Amino acid sequence: MKKLTIVVSLWASVALAELQPESPGIIESLPDTWPAHWIIAADASFFHMSDGKFIVLDADSDDPNDRFKGFFNGSLIANFAQATSRPEMYIAETFRSRGQRGERTDVLTIISKSSLEPIGEVVIPPKRSSNMPTAYNVSLVDDEKLALVYNFTPAQSVTVVDVVEREFLAEIPTPGCALAYPMPGRAFASICADASIMAVTIGDDGRQQSSTRTAPFFDVAADPLMEKPVIYGGIAYFPTFLGNVYPVDLNGSTPVVGEPWSMVGDEQGGWRPGGILFGAADSAGNLYFLMHPEGSDGTHKDPGVEVWVFDRDSGRRSKRIELALPALSINVTRDEEPLLVATNVNMEIDVYDAASGQHQRTLGNFGQETPLTLWVAQ
Amino acid sequence: MKWLDGITENGAREVARKTSRRGFLGKLATLIAGGAVAVPLLPVARGQQGVQQPGEVGDPNDCSYWRYCAIDGFLCGCCGGSLNTCPPGTEMSPITWIGTCENPADQTSYVISYNDCCGKSSCGNCLCQRNQGDRPIYRPQDSNDLNWCLGTDANSYNCTVAIVVGTALDQ
Repeated sequence: MKKLTIVVSLWASVALAELQPESPGIIESLPDTWPAHWIIAADASFFHMSDGKFIVLDADSDDPNDRFKGFFNGSLIANFAQATSRPEMYIAETFRSRGQRGERTDVLTIISKSSLEPIGEVVIPPKRSSNMPTAYNVSLVDDEKLALVYNFTPAQSVTVVDVVEREFLAEIPTPGCALAYPMPGRAFASICADASIMAVTIGDDGRQQSSTRTAPFFDVAADPLMEKPVIYGGIAYFPTFLGNVYPVDLNGSTPVVGEPWSMVGDEQGGWRPGGILFGAADSAGNLYFLMHPEGSDGTHKDPGVEVWVFDRDSGRRSKRIELALPALSINVTRDEEPLLVATNVNMEIDVYDAASGQHQRTLGNFGQETPLTLWVAQ
Repeated sequence: MKWLDGITENGAREVARKTSRRGFLGKLATLIAGGAVAVPLLPVARGQQGVQQPGEVGDPNDCSYWRYCAIDGFLCGCCGGSLNTCPPGTEMSPITWIGTCENPADQTSYVISYNDCCGKSSCGNCLCQRNQGDRPIYRPQDSNDLNWCLGTDANSYNCTVAIVVGTALDQ
């Protein structure tokens, strides 16, 4: 009798739960402003580079399905920048009219943060540098009105795009100098082969208005600057191969090189910075660097096994974070309770509490192949 | 895929540590990196194409092979080419980065031109990353972080060869 009751009861509930018609054609969207712990795993697709992905993930989520928010594509190791004053992201990418062959077209593509779709593009000279990713292949200046794209053919130059008007303006030659570090106003800096930093101001037409240059200040052969500084408060903190840090103040019209300090100090074990994107800053301005021991010639891109945290002014190390797995790239979210995120050698993303260094979770199996760099919501 | 693990496992790192970067011919580097010549022409006898020379030892399809001390990419010998020839249907980049590697067989350092083979997508076989003497991209002639498929019809990167272009002079 009890069984019969249950069966009847189930039948009744099924009958009550008759499915309602659903509407086709619904597409999800994201908020214009993302939660601080959302990150972008920039998958360069190293084994098929014309099919790169920028995958948006919630680093707080333990639900592997819920944490995946969507992605947008980028072709041939697309370079990335994001605006903070409007919900837009920018990627410089390269296409061929027949896939791997045919006419080359380079574009600066504008991606909506809410729809993750291209909402505009500007065709730029087919010269953009195709290199392992940095944070300064594309930079935004002039209150995010201009986007600057570094070119290498191997002649070096910077393309200037008005991203508000969606218009290519001009190309500025930067012979002997690479990348575009943002400076206040319509200006940028580049790092040069003669161990100097060049600063360029940009006129209304997008062309070079003026330029200045520091004296050479580091030893390219013995202890070269890595071209991937962490910029905080307008000061670019350049690590060197051997673990020194040169602060270069980009707040004025001319870069000012400060006194270098050592990340390593008296520490034994041959520790050095290294990886792909191996430095970051939190919202308080603490500097995080990925470090590996037993450094020698050629280890500057090796995975790091610890993250060291420094006070940017004193150079004092405040923390060492042992990583669950060696990592190639790191970033730190920009909120008051920051997460340290790291691309580990298994091409998964490890999430740590940046304050305690505690490993929280590993983000894997999200369709990634080579998420070589990580970006955080801004 | 385990990025770099293979390199560690096969001992390439150890080889890289044991081989010193004895010399570097700066003017030669500039000539190779800056000159738009199809094949670097140097006053040395031409080695045989497609195979290693008699004075070499080791497996040219192994990342620890001496010529690859500054390489970052797929070894063309695993992709239909060889240590110094490109796979069928690709195009060799005329401009390159260079390294200085010591041949363990004769303890002599040679200048190695790492020409990229271009026009097809990534080979995907025999990824090899060693960075001895590698420098940031503001020193392009010494940098393996750049896609060197430049001056070619297509800039898709396929694989990399390691061509002996001369002996390195002690500084």
